Amino acid sequence: MGAYRHFPILMITLPLLGAVFMPLMGYLRAKWVPWTAALPLAASSVLGVLLIGKIPAEGYLGYHLGNWEPPWGIEIRVDFMGLFLMLIVCGITLLSMVYSRRYIAAEVSEGRQTAYYTLFLLMSGAMLGFTATGDIFNLFVFMEILALSSYALVAITGNRNAVRAAFKYLLMGAPSSIMVLLAIGFLYSATGTLNMADLSRRIAESGYTEVLIVSYILFVIGFGVKAALFPLHMWLPDAHSIAPSPISALLSGLLVEVSAFAILRISFSVFTSGAENLIGGTMDAAGIFAAAAVLFGGIMAVLQKDLKMMIAYSTISHIGYIFLGITAMTAEGITGAMYHMLDHGLAKACLFLCAGSFIYVKGYRRIEDLKGAWRQMPWTCFAFALAALSVVGIPPTAGFISKWYLILGNIEGGNYLYVVILLAGSILAAVYCFRVIIYMFFLPGKEGAWEGEFKDAAPSMLSPVWILSLGTLFFGVFSYLVIPSLLKAAEFLL
Amino acid sequence: MQLLRNYHYVAAMLLFCIGLYTVIMRRNIIKKLIGLNIMETAVFFFYISLGYLDGGIAPIRVGGADPSRMVNPIPQALILTGIVVAVSVTALALALVILLYRQYGTLDVDRLFRDEGEAEAGEGKGEAA
Repeated sequence: MGAYRHFPILMITLPLLGAVFMPLMGYLRAKWVPWTAALPLAASSVLGVLLIGKIPAEGYLGYHLGNWEPPWGIEIRVDFMGLFLMLIVCGITLLSMVYSRRYIAAEVSEGRQTAYYTLFLLMSGAMLGFTATGDIFNLFVFMEILALSSYALVAITGNRNAVRAAFKYLLMGAPSSIMVLLAIGFLYSATGTLNMADLSRRIAESGYTEVLIVSYILFVIGFGVKAALFPLHMWLPDAHSIAPSPISALLSGLLVEVSAFAILRISFSVFTSGAENLIGGTMDAAGIFAAAAVLFGGIMAVLQKDLKMMIAYSTISHIGYIFLGITAMTAEGITGAMYHMLDHGLAKACLFLCAGSFIYVKGYRRIEDLKGAWRQMPWTCFAFALAALSVVGIPPTAGFISKWYLILGNIEGGNYLYVVILLAGSILAAVYCFRVIIYMFFLPGKEGAWEGEFKDAAPSMLSPVWILSLGTLFFGVFSYLVIPSLLKAAEFLL
Repeated sequence: MQLLRNYHYVAAMLLFCIGLYTVIMRRNIIKKLIGLNIMETAVFFFYISLGYLDGGIAPIRVGGADPSRMVNPIPQALILTGIVVAVSVTALALALVILLYRQYGTLDVDRLFRDEGEAEAGEGKGEAA
């Protein structure tokens, strides 16, 4: 017993509370809004860091809301993997928030900036809650807060393409949410409980196999749309490339990952007993789609002309990677998937923020326009290159470690074809990443495009970018800090 | 026979499928939103019918009320939350529809997304900050 018992719920409620006070702040002191909006996220990050080491790999930290015992009340249940993902969420949201201050002041009209910070905090709090909750209906509620705030954030600039992309996202996202709600209804009708731990106990006793099959498949489709698993990815390229860059970083670096994590939890901590065949069969099918995603995303990324569009398609490919780790159903595979969430979150957030810096400083979106960019923006270019190396999976970076475990997991599971596809995906990543790097550093720029004096992004934009890209390097070199516990947690999960 | 006895579930699923069909097949975005609401209503109907009891009483324990005749209140409580969510989604979607209609002058999906490829190719630095 210690004060740290209350940390998970505080981590969730602080950003949500912050979101409540943001409009008031905007009314009183509009200038302070970007600063005060960062405070709850910083506090959540500190609480999260203090929790490190408090949760063993095989255990969990349960918190009963309102002191109602679990099967009746709502439970917040943070296990080792949950804490791992919550820390990623805290870190990346905080860094994107720091980056937002200058970028949003330029991109979003004055009247909408307070709304932007409010929605940003809502989205962060919802992601944390979505990861931590142990109650399946609560999962739905957090998913809807997350979805609604992200639809609105995609459309926040209000220009033609942004509104259209947001509407497309909503048209795919809203039916998928309803499917998840229906799936929860089926589960409740079969078991009479909503607590995840209680559900996993009762599913075996219930014996309503048909209901469970439909429910599980609805869950996978519903979260699959949110995670943009191929062929349910159609909303992603538009939404991710047209949203303001800090939001692209959140959508691509976090939102798709927490959704993938939800599938992981539903598969392995809810439908555990008495449904092995069902999960195995669905995972085999999902594996085929994930493999297709790796290749499709990679090929489409190579074909793009717009930098943010390229990064968005690369995200589709990397979602395939994460799913290939989950569908391998081995401890190494799941470890690889979890570590890939970390690596992909850091690297993709960094790439999107770098793309944002190019747009902010020079107004260039197209890859062609980046020829010779290092002469004016060397710092941004180097950070971009480092993160791109992690996307490809070059050894000292975190991308290498996660791909290593993904491949190990698939060898362990006997899926040799997927090993080949994982490697092919890396080659495609090398093609689209090195093209940009070569453009930046080795090709002469267009007349007058990158000439003139040194003009890099401001420190408040450069430092988040550099922390993220050095993070990929740090977690590549010091992977032994996390990997053993993740392996243990994954073995415990299976 | 079992299907006939559980006709309310069948009705809910039929409604769900009608809604999904409308969302996918209709070209008018307002009709798509109506389809979305039909889907939501179907799910609400399903939840409420879960807790329904013929001749049931309110689940309040006063004066020796018979617990076996009480209606299950949890699905109703859940669906209250669900309705709030559905209203928010519809409100946001309608706001987006208004913006779309102002900027494109059409509600037809095919015409909205027709120039998608060209718009992306043409969007250079003009749109940036």
